[in-house]
Amino acid sequence: MHSLIQLSIVVLLLPLLSFVILIFFNRRLPRRGDFIGVGILGTAFAISAYIFWSVVVQTYDPAFRLAWDFTWIDLGNVPGVGPLQIKMGIVIDNLTSIMLAMVTLISLLVHLYSTGYMAGDKNYGRYFAFLGIFTFSMLGIVLSDNLFSIYIFWELVGLSSYLLIGFFFEKESAADAQKKAFLANRVGDIGMWLGILILYSQFHTFSFSEIYANLAAGKFAMSHAWLTAAGILLFMGCVGKSAQFPLHIWLPDAMEGPTPVSALIHAATMVAAGVYFVARIFVILTPDALHVIAFIGASTAFMAATIAITQNDIKRVLAYSTVSQLGYMVLGLGVGAYSAALFHLVTHAFFKACLFLGSGAIIHAMHHEQDMRWMGGLRKHMPWTFATFTLATLALAGLPLTSGFLSKDAILAGAIGFAQVEGGGIFYLIPVLGFFSAMLTAFYMGRQIWLVFFGESRTHLKPADPHHSDHHAHDSHASHSDDHHTEHGVHEVSWNMRAPLVILATLSVFFVYSPDPLDGAKGWFMKMIPTPATVVGEANHQIGELPLGTHQPVLAGVAPTTEVSAPEVAAPAHGEAHAAAGAEHAEAGHHYADARQAEIVHAGHAAHYTAIYISSIMVVLGIGLAFVVYVFGIINPATTAETLRPLYLFSLNKWYWDEIYDATVIKGSMLLATMLSWFDTNVVDGLVNGIAFLTKKFAFANAGFDKYVVDGMVNFTAFSVNTTGALLRKLQTGKVQTYVVMLLLAVFGYFVYYYTRLIN
Amino acid sequence: MEHLAPIGLNHYLTISAILLGLGLFAVMTRKNAIVILMGVELILNAANINFLAFSKYNGGMEGVMFSLFVIVLAAAEAAIALAVVINIYKLFKSVDVSSIDTMKE
Repeated sequence: MHSLIQLSIVVLLLPLLSFVILIFFNRRLPRRGDFIGVGILGTAFAISAYIFWSVVVQTYDPAFRLAWDFTWIDLGNVPGVGPLQIKMGIVIDNLTSIMLAMVTLISLLVHLYSTGYMAGDKNYGRYFAFLGIFTFSMLGIVLSDNLFSIYIFWELVGLSSYLLIGFFFEKESAADAQKKAFLANRVGDIGMWLGILILYSQFHTFSFSEIYANLAAGKFAMSHAWLTAAGILLFMGCVGKSAQFPLHIWLPDAMEGPTPVSALIHAATMVAAGVYFVARIFVILTPDALHVIAFIGASTAFMAATIAITQNDIKRVLAYSTVSQLGYMVLGLGVGAYSAALFHLVTHAFFKACLFLGSGAIIHAMHHEQDMRWMGGLRKHMPWTFATFTLATLALAGLPLTSGFLSKDAILAGAIGFAQVEGGGIFYLIPVLGFFSAMLTAFYMGRQIWLVFFGESRTHLKPADPHHSDHHAHDSHASHSDDHHTEHGVHEVSWNMRAPLVILATLSVFFVYSPDPLDGAKGWFMKMIPTPATVVGEANHQIGELPLGTHQPVLAGVAPTTEVSAPEVAAPAHGEAHAAAGAEHAEAGHHYADARQAEIVHAGHAAHYTAIYISSIMVVLGIGLAFVVYVFGIINPATTAETLRPLYLFSLNKWYWDEIYDATVIKGSMLLATMLSWFDTNVVDGLVNGIAFLTKKFAFANAGFDKYVVDGMVNFTAFSVNTTGALLRKLQTGKVQTYVVMLLLAVFGYFVYYYTRLIN
Repeated sequence: MEHLAPIGLNHYLTISAILLGLGLFAVMTRKNAIVILMGVELILNAANINFLAFSKYNGGMEGVMFSLFVIVLAAAEAAIALAVVINIYKLFKSVDVSSIDTMKE
């Protein structure tokens, strides 16, 4: 076993150790054991940083890959299934080591931050235990080398998310939110499991590398549609976990959890697990599946962005912004901008964690006020939070010189390239939605910054509401009532909450990722995470399969027709030609056997500067609009909302998704439940009752037989014996004379009898 | 005394039969336990007469021996029976056999 593998196992198990210690012994430890959580995560981060250093920095090889596995369960040859051998294993490549470092770093910072934010909570120790199990599960997803173990850790992540969303479970809204999150995730997970089973049924293995190898060798026996279906079903897991349309509804409600949890789980890591998973299975996704993924990503990005512009709760704006950014990542994977999507995953994790922790600091300082309408003027009181929050906001909006600019621009460039290659008008919808969402992102983040940090404090404007705490979502814990209420000023948070903000904000600047502030492709990240060559591309699925109608004309339009007739030979050459044409592409030195993929990667590089121009214009437009509305007051937001009332309400009510689900899925389930209940009471119970009735009748008949026939026979015997006895006892008079007479009579009778015998 | 036939076996048997009939009659009709016992004595003695008559006309001594046994037995029987009657009397203040029927019900 390689030493890096051993170290990664240590990293994986350390948070579990933290969980076990804290869940059992937190009440016996000083400070409820928070130092154990922070210390263990610190160690885990240190080891992860070492792994990151040796893999990414020292080796600096895009193809680096270490794998190790062992057979966990060998069920032998299961009848009807075939050989069933479940392995557990670890794979370390560049992506894994980057994710490992990212997850442990954010987890460590959130642990540290929580020592301030959660101080005084009655379940303080348990909170850290839950953070431990979450980190363990997330690291498990990152390190898994097969679908089975990734599915196990996937569910564990769902469980820890459930536990942490409902951490304030006394609050009804939190309990509802945790159930909603869990159920929405389950829906996605069922699809994911079915996808795993489709692949398993073909190859009898769960291992990523073996599945890829088998697919590349063309061993998929079923029709190509099944492969597309497998891809889309696996993507359903991502739809649930990464809150993509139509299962995005749980993520905004998940903000009921403590704010540091929102930062760790519902912004930076867990929701990124879906994107990470799609990246792991990227090479088996067929072009059709990728189209579905791209459209879902684009519509999610756009829809969430439109909702975010009208929300008033500071965390809800960030939640919808998260959904929107996850949409970008999924869009990026869907259009084939693999490295860009993962780049965005990492940059987004840092600046979104920073934003959430910053919003936590604001909420903490504002005595648990979460409504932005009653904030304002915090810039003077909280300079550190203001600076870091603004930096992260700029990164989220995608302003040049930030990390978000690099990654978002790369995705959008990929989207433009994709639309050009696909050539269809409908495919231009994807970059258009992407750019429009970029503008909306800039707008709502500008609005948020303005409402929270600038202007004058509007705390006094807040309408007095005695039932405020009942229906406003905010973190309520013990510290709520002690020191803050006595001292009524807004103040900067303490160092243990400030330090994570500073670190995360630093990681949101361009130079961490790329020396060129305008081009992420020049940075180490995009070089280390190249787009892997697909194993199910055009070249493969023409063997023994009908070519997919949508791609055939596209290819024919781009490539000479002779190439299409012999794709296996021509495709590599085709890819090479384009690789040579694109300077960046040749520099990176990647060659794609699949013509379509090469085309898209090349077009994406070519579209790079177009994307920069359009996205910069969009961002400036968005921020400018926010300034026009909120800073200069040229457009009054209230009257605009009044004028565009239907649109405003549509956005404020989150596109009515909750209502739609309520009317369809929930009502439908209730109706089904009512029908089943009717069936149960009338048919099933009827059957049972009918059988009971018949049994009763039979029993009565049986009882009659027993009573009249069996008892009759017994009683008749008794009666006849009784009667005979009564008759016979008459003979027993008790008088000696009678007996003597009878004796005489008997003797006389005998004599007569004997005498007649003698005569005859 | 010529016209009188000599006493033969038939005369004995006749006497014995009459005696048996009287004994039976006494046993069947009397209510007094002592009278019934007397009737039983008559029956026993009717049997004795038969034994002796057949012994005389048969020539053996077996009948005589039997009648001696019967006399001894009758004496023992009378002794025991009278003791029983005395106890019955003590218990029921009566020697009327028709009223002594406690074992019936």
